[in-house]
Amino acid sequence: MPTATTQSTPSRAPQRIAAVFAALASSLLLLFLAVPIGKLVVSGGAAGIRQLASDAELRGALSLTAVTATVATLLGVLGGTPLAYVLARRDFRGRAVLSALLDLPLLIPHPVAGIALLLLLGRESALGGVLLGAGLRVVGTPLGIVAAMLFVAAPLFISGAREAFARVSPRYEAVARTLGDSPWRAFARVTLPLSRRGLIASAVVMWARAVSEFGAIVVLTYNPKVASVLSYDRFTSFGLREALPVAAVLALLALIPLTALRTLRGADEEVAP
Amino acid sequence: MIECRALCARHGSFRLTDVSFTVPTGAYGVVIGPAGSGKTTLLETIAGIVPATAGQLFLHTRDATQLAPESRGLGLVYQHGYLFAHLSVAENIAYGAASPEAAEEAARRFGADALTGRPVRALSGGERQLVALARAFARRPSFILLDEPFSALDPRRRMIVRREVRALHRAWGLTTLQVTHDFTEAGLLGDVAILLDSGRALQSGSPEDVFRRPASRYIAEFLGAENVLAGNVRVLDDVAPDWLEGESAEIAHGYRAIEFTSGPLTLYTVGDFPVGDGYAVIRAEEIVLSPEAPVGSARNRFRGTVSELATLGALARVTVDVNGVPLVASLTTRSAKELALATGMPVTASFKAMAVHLC
Repeated sequence: MPTATTQSTPSRAPQRIAAVFAALASSLLLLFLAVPIGKLVVSGGAAGIRQLASDAELRGALSLTAVTATVATLLGVLGGTPLAYVLARRDFRGRAVLSALLDLPLLIPHPVAGIALLLLLGRESALGGVLLGAGLRVVGTPLGIVAAMLFVAAPLFISGAREAFARVSPRYEAVARTLGDSPWRAFARVTLPLSRRGLIASAVVMWARAVSEFGAIVVLTYNPKVASVLSYDRFTSFGLREALPVAAVLALLALIPLTALRTLRGADEEVAP
Repeated sequence: MIECRALCARHGSFRLTDVSFTVPTGAYGVVIGPAGSGKTTLLETIAGIVPATAGQLFLHTRDATQLAPESRGLGLVYQHGYLFAHLSVAENIAYGAASPEAAEEAARRFGADALTGRPVRALSGGERQLVALARAFARRPSFILLDEPFSALDPRRRMIVRREVRALHRAWGLTTLQVTHDFTEAGLLGDVAILLDSGRALQSGSPEDVFRRPASRYIAEFLGAENVLAGNVRVLDDVAPDWLEGESAEIAHGYRAIEFTSGPLTLYTVGDFPVGDGYAVIRAEEIVLSPEAPVGSARNRFRGTVSELATLGALARVTVDVNGVPLVASLTTRSAKELALATGMPVTASFKAMAVHLC
């Protein structure tokens, strides 16, 4: 027995040191992430909520943010769901390239994304010209905001939806097919309901990302201002004191999708066969 | 009838190659094979889930190779059930059912009616299998494909459900194809056995044929044949088969008397095996042990000593060392006790010429 004691003592010490180090590093990171937002909400939250009643521009920016983010999310869900399904289910040449292309908007700086969109949708571009001819002006309108939000946030939905579909074994569809369903019917009756939570969570993540977007929007549509642009505008024009309530309200707004995600994940269960 | 003619399919990197067999209308086919041999892929190809890349599939007389799964008139039950978790148990059974009455009957016959009040997520593996079986049978298909559907059931329930599946198969004239790892189940249920390995059908025929006359040493060993001896075949053209008592009909059908030499052992059998190297397969239950030389008609008799005695419940496996060659015999534990078998005891191992299968 004494032999066992002498053997185990030296091996435990480095483990304890490593555990203390890991706990310290994690705690510091946690504080670094939580404290600025906490301080922002504490410092400006109450003023921001009070300001909502009197500040029409803030109310307008918030409602514009919510509406454009919702429209962008709906468009993302509409186009992204079939894309995510194909990526999750079908094995085809070029799938890896397509996946990489879809992730690209997440990796490039967002002002660069705005510039890319400006090149495509600006009045000088062919497509922009056609759209203008049809009476649709993108740059400097809510349409530009939606385009910017869609560009930067849709990849998040596609990635999440792809994962949600991948978690549902194709054998559920196989069984539904042998029970008389066409591929579309099997998708609607089985795959979609089974992956519903994952899809909703992905849509919430997309919406939250769209709400917080700044870089691409500011290039494409500075006015009318969404909340993030308004917060930046007040900061550069009037300083921290004026920007604080707007920023705090934006931070509080982020609590809505966060709560929704927590609720969804709390109720989420493994799709077991 | 389920008939595969040189059926080929690809599922990921796995390939099903030139699979051919026939399960006649109303017959019960069993697919056996090691893990990863392509059993599930075969069922999925027949169901139309995995597309066939070559060959043909006939369901009854119809070429179903290109038919959509929903047009094939078949039911598929996976080992894990794959119940739809967003639906209730009753809704699962009713999904695709031929009628509400058919759903009720199927639920009742598989004992799934007692589960209808419970959420799918709360069901055990065995209960899921019952619901999955009820769901597939409620559709009243013409063909049913079963992928180890009883694996999660306890032995008693397995026996009951197996009997129920067999009863429905007979009553409705279903053509059934079941994947199983259980050789006893294959023997009990199957009219046709198909042995699959590495995506190829190595042998098909009646379970009796496949188990007693395996086409190769690999199949013999996979099917659990205890005695597989490598050796050399010599045809005894001029020998009057007076020792083939009761087996003359085989000779009359063109079979020949054969001498098979494996090390110190020389066995005698009948068959149409070509001269040269081969393997002799003798199932353990064909070998009779006796303390003295038996009086019966068995042509092959070897004196040896018991080297190992293992009791497995009601059965005993006895290994007899014959000049360094182990021969394994299977007998009831009761018989082993009556013979007072013990390690080191001299015994005679004997078996008939027809018990030796060459491959």
